[in-house]
Amino acid sequence: MKPEKVVGQNIPHDSARGHVSGESLYVDDTPFAQGELLVDFFGSSVAHGRIKKLDLEAAKNIPGVIALYTYRDLGGHNQFGPILQDEVLLVEEIAEFIGHPIVVIAAESRKAIQKAKAAIRIEMEELPPVFTIEEARRKGQFIFKTRIIERGDVEKAFAEAEHTLEGTFYNNGQEHFYLESQAAIAYPGEHDTLTVHSSTQHPSEVQAVIAEVLGLGCHQVVVETRRMGGAFGGKECQATHPAVMASLVALKTKRPARICLSVDDDMKTTGKRHAFHNEYKVAFTKDGLITGMDVHLYSNGGAANDLSTAVMGRAICHAENAYYIPNVRIQGSICKTNLPPNTAFRGFGGPQGMANMENIIEEIAQFLGKDAYDIRVLNCYGTDDRNITPYGQTVENNHLPEIFQKLEARADYKNRLAQIEKFNGESPLYLKGISLTPIKFGISFNTKFLNQASALVNIYLDGTVQVSTGATEMGQGVNTKIRQIVAEELCLPVEAVRMMATSTEKNNNTSATAASSGSDLNGSAAADACRKLKARLVECAAGHLMSDHPDVDSVEWDETGIWDRRDPKNRLSFQQLVKLAHLDRVSLGERGFYATPGLSFDWEHRDPQTGKITAYGRPFLYFTTGCACSEVLIDRFTGDVKVVRSDLLMDIGRPINPGIDRGQIAGAFIQGMGWVTTEDLRYSDTGDLLTHSPTTYKIPNIQDVPEVFNIDWIDNPDNTVNLRRSKAVGEPPLMLALSVWTAVKHALSFVSNGDIVKLNLPATNEEVLTRLTDYANQGKLETGKIMDSV
Amino acid sequence: MRQTRGRDRNTIILYINGERHEVGGEQVFLPVTDYLRYGIGRTGTKVVCAEGDCGACTVLLGRLGNGEIGYKPVNACIQYIYQLDGMHLITVEGLKINGELNPVQEAMITCHGAQCGYCTPGMVVAMCGLMQENLCSQAPRPATSQEVREALTGNLCRCTGYESILNAGAAVNPVEMPSLQALYPSVEMAGELEKCAGETVCIEADDRLFLNPVSIEEAVGFKAEYPNLTIINGGTDVSVFCNKRGFEPPVLMSLSKLPDLDRVEILDGWISVGARASLVQLERSIEDIYPELHRMLNVFGSPQIKHAGTLSGNIANGSPIGDTLPFLFVTDSEVEVTGVSGTRRISMNHLYTGYKTLDMRPDEMITCVWIPMPRPDETLRLYKVSRRKHLDISTFTAAVRMQKSGDDIEDIRIAYGGVGPTVLRLPKTEAFLNGSRFSEANFREAGKIARSEITPISDVRGLQDYRFQLAENILLKFYTELKITGQEVRV
Repeated sequence: MKPEKVVGQNIPHDSARGHVSGESLYVDDTPFAQGELLVDFFGSSVAHGRIKKLDLEAAKNIPGVIALYTYRDLGGHNQFGPILQDEVLLVEEIAEFIGHPIVVIAAESRKAIQKAKAAIRIEMEELPPVFTIEEARRKGQFIFKTRIIERGDVEKAFAEAEHTLEGTFYNNGQEHFYLESQAAIAYPGEHDTLTVHSSTQHPSEVQAVIAEVLGLGCHQVVVETRRMGGAFGGKECQATHPAVMASLVALKTKRPARICLSVDDDMKTTGKRHAFHNEYKVAFTKDGLITGMDVHLYSNGGAANDLSTAVMGRAICHAENAYYIPNVRIQGSICKTNLPPNTAFRGFGGPQGMANMENIIEEIAQFLGKDAYDIRVLNCYGTDDRNITPYGQTVENNHLPEIFQKLEARADYKNRLAQIEKFNGESPLYLKGISLTPIKFGISFNTKFLNQASALVNIYLDGTVQVSTGATEMGQGVNTKIRQIVAEELCLPVEAVRMMATSTEKNNNTSATAASSGSDLNGSAAADACRKLKARLVECAAGHLMSDHPDVDSVEWDETGIWDRRDPKNRLSFQQLVKLAHLDRVSLGERGFYATPGLSFDWEHRDPQTGKITAYGRPFLYFTTGCACSEVLIDRFTGDVKVVRSDLLMDIGRPINPGIDRGQIAGAFIQGMGWVTTEDLRYSDTGDLLTHSPTTYKIPNIQDVPEVFNIDWIDNPDNTVNLRRSKAVGEPPLMLALSVWTAVKHALSFVSNGDIVKLNLPATNEEVLTRLTDYANQGKLETGKIMDSV
Repeated sequence: MRQTRGRDRNTIILYINGERHEVGGEQVFLPVTDYLRYGIGRTGTKVVCAEGDCGACTVLLGRLGNGEIGYKPVNACIQYIYQLDGMHLITVEGLKINGELNPVQEAMITCHGAQCGYCTPGMVVAMCGLMQENLCSQAPRPATSQEVREALTGNLCRCTGYESILNAGAAVNPVEMPSLQALYPSVEMAGELEKCAGETVCIEADDRLFLNPVSIEEAVGFKAEYPNLTIINGGTDVSVFCNKRGFEPPVLMSLSKLPDLDRVEILDGWISVGARASLVQLERSIEDIYPELHRMLNVFGSPQIKHAGTLSGNIANGSPIGDTLPFLFVTDSEVEVTGVSGTRRISMNHLYTGYKTLDMRPDEMITCVWIPMPRPDETLRLYKVSRRKHLDISTFTAAVRMQKSGDDIEDIRIAYGGVGPTVLRLPKTEAFLNGSRFSEANFREAGKIARSEITPISDVRGLQDYRFQLAENILLKFYTELKITGQEVRV
């Protein structure tokens, strides 16, 4: 009897047993080493200011304080950044956001650190700060240059349009709220080497920046990541700073050094999802068919670029979401402000680009008095035509029309819409809204070179296997999926395969575990290593099974062992074969490599027809798609929003682990639901984040999960371009939650006296009550007060 | 500083996963999570927010009552070691059965209830607490989805979207769970916990003093002796100040051993709520009497907070957004305070003299809260508006209590929270409505009058205009609800 295949099975997360028993170890769970120091930093108390005087004497004399370091103590240079080198680790002269690190403090106790912070004397000359997109635009403060995608003749489309609409759309940012705050421990070694345990999605970047800033070679620094207590993009670049601080202390004092930010400091001083404030114009027919669109996206980048240019790139590439728009111009500019540099967050610009588009669709529907669902289906990318994106990539194997149709039926959309119309006409207490929205999310890093990965597979003489890849485990289950891939490639039970901590020593120059691509890239690299190992082992087996006429093609290998097809009784177990290979001096370790094929993308392509510059090419290997239908209930008197039902249907190819993929879909959706409803970043007028802990920043809790919450995917075997016909699933379902926001917009349209509903994102109860009050013409509330994250 | 009395014990005796710990000196002033994680290397209990709002640190706190140890989930991050004399703490490390994972843990694995794993220990502990409670009930059965939601309201997860956790909760058969009493059957432990309950504890270390009296007389004496004394009851507010604002009270007194103050009883037409009675006790006791208060307590906070927090603590903290206060105002509840010169009762409507200022003498402490039984012909509605419905601090709260005579309003009392330095009654609005017809026009007008009686501010939980609008709208909502749903039904 043949055991079941491992790939495609719903096996538990490889760390689940440790998680439920409290035995899984995170950075701060490591026992303290002898002489270990605690590290923290002293940051700017003003959002924009020049340091006039810094006196550390009193702080240095506090018992238990071991060292205080400023930028002058850094060994190499202070300047760094993942894309543009526009960031400093420690402020030299000008602080650019509240909490901008100025002094690194090393002490023997937390109390000593607190006392040192209080004893640091600093004089700052305050400079005028800029917090909003509007102010930055007015002052011409931008990071990098405006990117553009342009196709067709936009001016002509508007000149000939039957209808046009224009307006602005605002979405706020979002805090990652990973439960484990930024953390790292640096252990000094001999000859100025460092071993750093970091809670990071990107060990190679942490390694490179430590080396660069401290004046070491990368070969002197090993960065290891066992797991993270959540990351969501927030530990792609911003785990680096604390790790470098701990490393600075370890290198200078020759003592182990640990940094773990409090949730408050983490939220106050690290970047978030970008707020956007966009301008849009759209041209469409009386039926709602979009003929032209002109969009300018503006993001709030914060004080340095971080990943803002890449985030904007993805926003631009998703600003049409799932709709074919023949004449289209999409531009994106990043505003420089005095907030912590905003960064990667699940979806990476995709949510902001798509939110803008779904807002436009909703407005077209309200303008025409049509059902928004019909407008969406009408404009959706086609399967055979109308299927080329603004940047020239064909949407292949497009299942969206099928998903639309299936979900409309499963969610009973049309009937429920009719019921809601009736309900809203009758209920004096509540309003309901319903919306069914699509997503189409491109898979691959937009930046081509990042689409590579390596893996190390070591077989031991007892037949067990260790696998190390560049992928980092943040809960998403990448290690479990790779474990399944390796187990199946080598025909082993998963128990024989163990996923090792990610280390720059095992896999060098890795890409961040990001862009939903962790399993695609690293799983493919691991499979590559397995195939190479298997080829060598088959050759070895042939030699032993068929000593007279070795024939590799006659070697059979499955879960039961390895044998000669012509003589099935003549067989070896995996363990026997491994031992023989070792005696034959055949290498039992292999490095696998994968580079995503067929990608090309140019931001500065000159369109031969129009002569204009546009982004162009095939940035994505494939698209993950899906639709969601959500229904909301709104209290007419308080603006409270409750999501009562959501139905999700996706195309995620053939899942490597359906249980894990289901968890990604549910988790991403609820996280997105938080972004569009209750998660409300608020700052003081001096740029200080006021919502810096769960007491004031409200992510969804278990009571917010819709009472009816259906999750499913279509059976789609056609994604042959990717590992085992799977599709990436980490980010895309987050954007399904836009259906919640559009459902609120839909609900409000019942009371807007025929006006198109204007609604900011998130649709907090305060935002909704503001609209309700306006429409009720009680006119007491000012509109548009919650602007641009300030 | 006080001369430590010879007969008082100067250590805290507690049990952790069945192991005896006797803690003295500065360690007594540590949060439980610090002691667990950095003191004894039990790192399964995680700290995320350090303010009782995420549940990652959930532990089961056992204390002796009616001859056996009862276990309740609490947030270990806002429990300090000094609060735990004579108690048994079970952490995630202490939930295995003979070294094997328990059914809750197994269900969390098979249902993919854990992703990154950081919230998981807290989730597992809270879910075990639910199963335990279920097991103590008459007929143990798998928890309903709503019960799982209620039990895990205080446990945030950022990865799973909770769907898999709900599935895990429903998949556990509680009868397969051993009771915690069976898991920790030690007679010696129970014996020592009982002994501790009768022992005064007095610990002086690092210029700080902790007092754990065993009688009200002793407690009042301490209160009179130390004017700067801070009372720790559940600690759900004070401990947050300690964690987040560097508050280091020089003298602390825990009420944990005061006898008879842990009851909710009905006496002479009043509900008497002892100072130590937890909000969960209150919630369960008044379900049939005051369904509106029950509903309010349901969204008040997490089980972890409600098992530790008390009604008297909510009153003593005196925040203008204390969720129970508007109810106590409109029902004319009374606070019983005890001092060296005896006991007196103060009407809730006269208790506050300003922001977090109470009309009490330094030697007095709240010993009981008296809530009148509802009149059969009255209508009561309580409202709470917050950014998130559950486990959130209010932006605005309201209580409206009304008696009608035919179509006219005979007596209406309105109290609002979150729109001034204290919870406010609205005398002008009440005067306008009293004797008026029960009509939409009158409630619309009343809403406008209500605006003139309040002084809300803009803060992180909402702009001033928003609060003004809520203050206006809530009266119309009250009217509309009664008009269309009658007195009892609520959507």
